[in-house]
Amino acid sequence: MGKPSDLVQGTLDLLILKTLSLEPKHGWAIAKRIQQVSQEVLQVQQGSLYPALHRLEQQGWIRAAWRSTETGRLAKFYSLTRSGRRQLEKELAQWERLSNAVDLVASMA
Amino acid sequence: MSESRTLDRLRLGLRSLFARRRVEAELQAELDLHVEMQTAEYVAAGVPPREARERALRLLGARGAVEEECRDTRRTRPLETFLQDLRYGVRALRWNPLFAAMAALSLALGIGANTAIFSLAHALLLRPLPVERPAELVAVGDPRRANSYSEGGMQDYLISTPMYRLLRDEVSAFNGLYASGRAGRVLVGADGPDAAGGEPEAVRARIVSGNFFSLLGVGAWRGRTFTAGEDRAPGEAPVAVISYDYWQRRFGGESTAVGRTLLLNDQPFTVVGVAQRGFFGDVVGGATDIWLPLAEQPQLNRGHDWRQRWDVQWLLLMGRLRPGATVEQARGEVQATFDRVMKSRAGGLIDPAWLPEDLSQLRVPVGPGGHGFSALREYLRQPLPTLVALVALVLLVACVNIATLLLERATSRQKEITVRLALGAGRGRLVRQLLTESLVLALLGGGLGVVVAWGADVGLLALLDLPRSALDLRPDVTVLGFTALVAVATGVAFGLVPALAATRSALAPALRERSRSTAGGGSGRGSLARLLVVGQVAASLLLLAGAGLFVRSLRNLQTADLGYESHGLLMLGVDPESAGYAGDRVGPMLGDLLARLAAVPGVAAVSVSENGIFSGTESSTAIVIAGRPPRDDDEGVAYDRVGPRYFETVGIPILRGRGIGPRGVAGAPPVAVVNEAMAREYFPGEDPLGHRFAEKSKPDVVYEIVGISTDARDHDLRGEVGPRYYAPLLQAVGDVSAFNVELRTGFAKAAGDSPRLEAAIRDAARAVDPRLRVIGPLAVERSIEAWLRGDRLVATLATVLGLLALVLASIGLYGVVAHATARRTNEIGIRMVMGARRRAVVWMVLRETLLLAGAGIAVGLVAVLGSARLVASRLHGLSPHDAPTLAAAALVLLVVGLVAGSIPGARAARIDPMRSLRQE
Repeated sequence: MGKPSDLVQGTLDLLILKTLSLEPKHGWAIAKRIQQVSQEVLQVQQGSLYPALHRLEQQGWIRAAWRSTETGRLAKFYSLTRSGRRQLEKELAQWERLSNAVDLVASMA
Repeated sequence: MSESRTLDRLRLGLRSLFARRRVEAELQAELDLHVEMQTAEYVAAGVPPREARERALRLLGARGAVEEECRDTRRTRPLETFLQDLRYGVRALRWNPLFAAMAALSLALGIGANTAIFSLAHALLLRPLPVERPAELVAVGDPRRANSYSEGGMQDYLISTPMYRLLRDEVSAFNGLYASGRAGRVLVGADGPDAAGGEPEAVRARIVSGNFFSLLGVGAWRGRTFTAGEDRAPGEAPVAVISYDYWQRRFGGESTAVGRTLLLNDQPFTVVGVAQRGFFGDVVGGATDIWLPLAEQPQLNRGHDWRQRWDVQWLLLMGRLRPGATVEQARGEVQATFDRVMKSRAGGLIDPAWLPEDLSQLRVPVGPGGHGFSALREYLRQPLPTLVALVALVLLVACVNIATLLLERATSRQKEITVRLALGAGRGRLVRQLLTESLVLALLGGGLGVVVAWGADVGLLALLDLPRSALDLRPDVTVLGFTALVAVATGVAFGLVPALAATRSALAPALRERSRSTAGGGSGRGSLARLLVVGQVAASLLLLAGAGLFVRSLRNLQTADLGYESHGLLMLGVDPESAGYAGDRVGPMLGDLLARLAAVPGVAAVSVSENGIFSGTESSTAIVIAGRPPRDDDEGVAYDRVGPRYFETVGIPILRGRGIGPRGVAGAPPVAVVNEAMAREYFPGEDPLGHRFAEKSKPDVVYEIVGISTDARDHDLRGEVGPRYYAPLLQAVGDVSAFNVELRTGFAKAAGDSPRLEAAIRDAARAVDPRLRVIGPLAVERSIEAWLRGDRLVATLATVLGLLALVLASIGLYGVVAHATARRTNEIGIRMVMGARRRAVVWMVLRETLLLAGAGIAVGLVAVLGSARLVASRLHGLSPHDAPTLAAAALVLLVVGLVAGSIPGARAARIDPMRSLRQE
């Protein structure tokens, strides 16, 4: 496995929000999920995951609650709030614009 | 923003503030779980458990930093951090209560001294009058002349009663203009049937126009204030308003006080009201007890009716600007009216002799009046910069002290700090935390400082011979704001350097370093502390030298050769007009008075003069010597008119010729005695005897010089004695309105030392005429003391502050040396094992102390020499480089330094070499 690419600044928020849009998850599960879905291409720096989660929570885009995991451990589960969902749509649209633009430049030049 | 989102954020904020422990626990649990799950994953992949956990931890990164980053996302973070730092700060101080107490006390003294001086300056210079909209008030006349009076000759700094009426009616820039003047000496006699016996009480009274209270917007606490009509005609029943403080003092706050009759200078006045609480009048530094209407002025100063006198100028005016009007406008209008009156000489009522040659010299001062009138203000303005410099230096010394102590503490906390840096704590965060600790200390010191300042202000007023009520020194928002500012500034000042120094260290060496280094005190921090202590000793030397100089200067003034013996010399002020004496009748009355006083047992000799000695009134005039052209550079000559036996009574020797004898009566050819200074100035190399001279303004009266006296200091202790002449009083008795009787007695000093003699003197005056008003008798020595109060204030304060700095500096020296010695315990142990004698060890420690003190003293001496010019003008009879004073200050510091160093020295000598080595 090669060195995973660093996440573009700001995209971590998008990935977290997207990951949480399906179901509530705790921190480790979020990181794992991003890794799996991206087929190990995207690896979340664990050191920056938690500050990001806390920042999103402070923004009111995600909400935290303590619940039992499948193994019976108590964990902090994050879920998307309504304003978080709106934020996700905004960020997706923005990402689409950005990646389209990059695609265009990449294919034309 | 949606409502639920706002609520979410609010809930989080509250949680992080008030459920901090829980929030922190959750953060830990969250990260713990993460590590656990990651470990489990590695284990499942076949990694051995121990290694799995290590790899999981490494994957997360520096956990401390991650935690900090998470905390940083909280919106309440700054406040949270501050509260946390505050808790740490308080806890750190509680761990070391002795340090905390010493630091807080040093600061309290330093900040307290600064607050005390500031609140004095504030009350005197900055605080507006406690009246409505003080910014609209405009003062007419010189506000410093609150207690002055001028008769004959037109002045621009005070206003006469008729001039006031004119200005009040004519100046349109004012919405109202009131007059306020000194009431002179007012005695309150026992009142009515419930009269208690005893001496009448002197009060501070002011004569004001009827619109005084309404213009200032000051109401009545009880009864009523004056009505505008009250100053038209002298009332059938004169009225008075008293201050809240006087009401409390004399009537104990009884409501029956309103309606009572007070005998003021033997005239009945009815108390119609008590002014608003907290209103001390319009004179700052001389709280008024009683206000009396302008119309009653002749009743109060019997024999003096100034209501139509243009030449008696005794009022200061205060106007309230009409909306939209400016001070400039008011100034222009006042000057226009004034100029018109002077040009027309008020329709001939103003004697041309009263006017200066050039009328444009007369410019009435008109300026902002919201700070009231004050004679004290000018008087304190001079020593104030010196005082500010002194207290600032003390605060500096206190700051250095605490900085040194903090530096040492930072050294002993080095390991803790290093470990925290290593664990990922940011340096900024640590500096902030250490600073917060300093701020806690500073605010503690500031709080105590307010208490210190309050006590110090009471002492300051006593030093100034002022009653407690004279100045409003209660701390207000401005004063407390100043204190808080000083406290925070000092906290940052003494906290920042140690905090930066403590966190600067490179990590690895500090961690490797064992708790006690054998290399000893050469570390960077140690030399910083040394530098601070050197600065502290230097500042202390500056203060001590200042104290020495000021004390010696005061001493020089106190022991100055007056040219006569002040001990046992009393002055009695006499006002013949108060008993209706005028013109030809004054002379015989004075003769009777002098004869009766001479007969009082204990009185050795009696004479009389116009100005007296240290009485506060002086006269001077320009003169022309007969047969010579007038001198252009003439600055005027001081003079006094004196009665028979004046020179014998005061004790001023006549060098040649004769004194003023009893023959100097009306009609005889005018004669004069001149002092040596005048003889030197006007007759260098000549014999002045037989020469004639005249006052420039009265060329007809030609004096013949009949005697030369020695120089005497009669009103001033500073500088050279100037030219002065003495003319016979009895030849000019009609021109003089007040007299000072000189009494030579065997008694002394403070009033009250010889109450029986004083009572006898007053009785003798009363026997001449019971209506005769007298002031005193007052010992000349006491007047001189009062004259010296500014110098005494500076000298006393400089001494107190100098001693304070000495104590602080010795604590600083002790602290640095003791700490350095403790760090060298190991080295000392080795030296002793190697055969060093105890004496050598003690010397080693003492030498360090001496080096520090010596360096500080050297720097201090340079500073003293550099700043000498600043104090030179305040010193009398010695140079600011006065070698004995500087040497004494240096010696005191050196000795105190040695004592401070001998304690750690003795401790070093007791070190048990074996134990100290085992400690390692």
